[in-house]
Amino acid sequence: MNTPVIDMHSHVGNDPSNGMVDDVDAYIKTMDTAGVDRAPVSCIFYGDVTRCNDTTAAFVAKNPDRFMGVAFVTPFYPEQAIAELERAFDVLGMVFLKVYPSYVRKPIDDEAYEPILQWCNDRSIIVKCHTEYMEGSNTYTDPDRFIGLAQRYENIRWILAHSGNVREGQLRAVAAAQSSRKIYLETCSSWGDHGTIERLVEGAGEDRVLYGSDMPLMDARAQVGRIVTADISQEAKRKVLGLNAAELLGITV
Amino acid sequence: MGQVDLEFKPTVPVFDANVALGRRHDRIVSADADTPEATLAELARAGIQRALVYSPHAIDFDSNDGNNLLFETVQRHDALVPQFLCNPSVDDLDKFAADVAERDIRAVRLAPKAHDYPFREWVAGEWLEWMGSVNMPFWVSAPDIDPSELRETMVAHPEVNFVLAEVHYGHLSWAVPLLKSLPNGYIEISRFVLFNGIARLLEAIGSERILFGSAFPESPMAPQLYSLHLNGLDDDTLAAICSGNLERLLGIQ
Repeated sequence: MNTPVIDMHSHVGNDPSNGMVDDVDAYIKTMDTAGVDRAPVSCIFYGDVTRCNDTTAAFVAKNPDRFMGVAFVTPFYPEQAIAELERAFDVLGMVFLKVYPSYVRKPIDDEAYEPILQWCNDRSIIVKCHTEYMEGSNTYTDPDRFIGLAQRYENIRWILAHSGNVREGQLRAVAAAQSSRKIYLETCSSWGDHGTIERLVEGAGEDRVLYGSDMPLMDARAQVGRIVTADISQEAKRKVLGLNAAELLGITV
Repeated sequence: MGQVDLEFKPTVPVFDANVALGRRHDRIVSADADTPEATLAELARAGIQRALVYSPHAIDFDSNDGNNLLFETVQRHDALVPQFLCNPSVDDLDKFAADVAERDIRAVRLAPKAHDYPFREWVAGEWLEWMGSVNMPFWVSAPDIDPSELRETMVAHPEVNFVLAEVHYGHLSWAVPLLKSLPNGYIEISRFVLFNGIARLLEAIGSERILFGSAFPESPMAPQLYSLHLNGLDDDTLAAICSGNLERLLGIQ
């Protein structure tokens, strides 16, 4: 079936020990095979966020019909973060922000993130954040935290990357999505158990679940497969694969 | 706009090399996944004809108890092929060997870390000699074994085939070199969802030592099956990975 597929979780960067290599030709080839039309990509792997966003912009420029830029900033350098946000969105034309609190070792609702989130709120920016749940380990990105954030920053639309990853995290992500229509759940995972996609769609509604792959760490074909083979309706599959993302991003495919 | 098969079914016979069967004591298994009937229903939905199944109780508590529980459970279900756990550090080899022969068990599984023994010649050697004598392959989960122990022990037992299960991208740095160095090593691909992972394996070890497995219900059944069908494999290679290699390993058709 011809249906738009937008990959809401993709990266630019290399981590060979985990098999991650961002060769653009291999990237496009896999996207083509998997049926993915467009991929917003982010580079989150340098300490210097200017380098991150320049790397992203350069990658997007290789094939702007297929890629869109996603900004990255870190609260380690708060003064630079705001200037970089302005550059990323006003100069580089990026479409949303990715943050990764586990790198910073501060929870997403820590005061260190306030300037960044306030800026995003003022500009009604979409913010995607890595989420996970690990019992007995760090809870920097526990989906629970986004309930309060969504209440506080009413203009931000949140994307919970990985939807909490494991079952307990997924349940928390669903609860967060049920607390606010500004919270979306993204699907990529190497740990999601049987029934994950069904759980997310039933819990958050088919209109607020977004397909993602974590390319080029994970393969889009398997991650599209998680949606395609889920026990949900065809219409729900189409929405998750791309119709929801197109509406969220305000684009047509 | 990309092409996506929203009603995917495999085009070749499929024999899932890795399914856990039974309710766990330590976490919820979906109610639609913890019985033989539920597992068979999911196999049917995924277009899979058979599955090699083991008992998680045999890993978490008593291998003998778990094996008996499993055998009773799958008795009326030809599509569920039982795999027995053994613990070389405490189990009785003669009794186990007799049991396996009487019940026509074609594969065993080891869990060294879960069972707290080093996978060394002085613990497992006698068992490996027995396995070699009866052409009995064993499965071991990548997170559940020390890779150096595996390599050093199995290099001395080239007559014993083993399957490395649940290999994650985090294991890439040792799993592929190990498989390249040991021609008696196979890989079950349930968690091998890294970018271009299938192509990497084909290049590294060829198609004959790759097995489709799902790790159901810890993972959904069909996404990797979908990915295999999008990897440009010829029909013979696809059929081999989806079932033929496992059938050959188990000595059944």
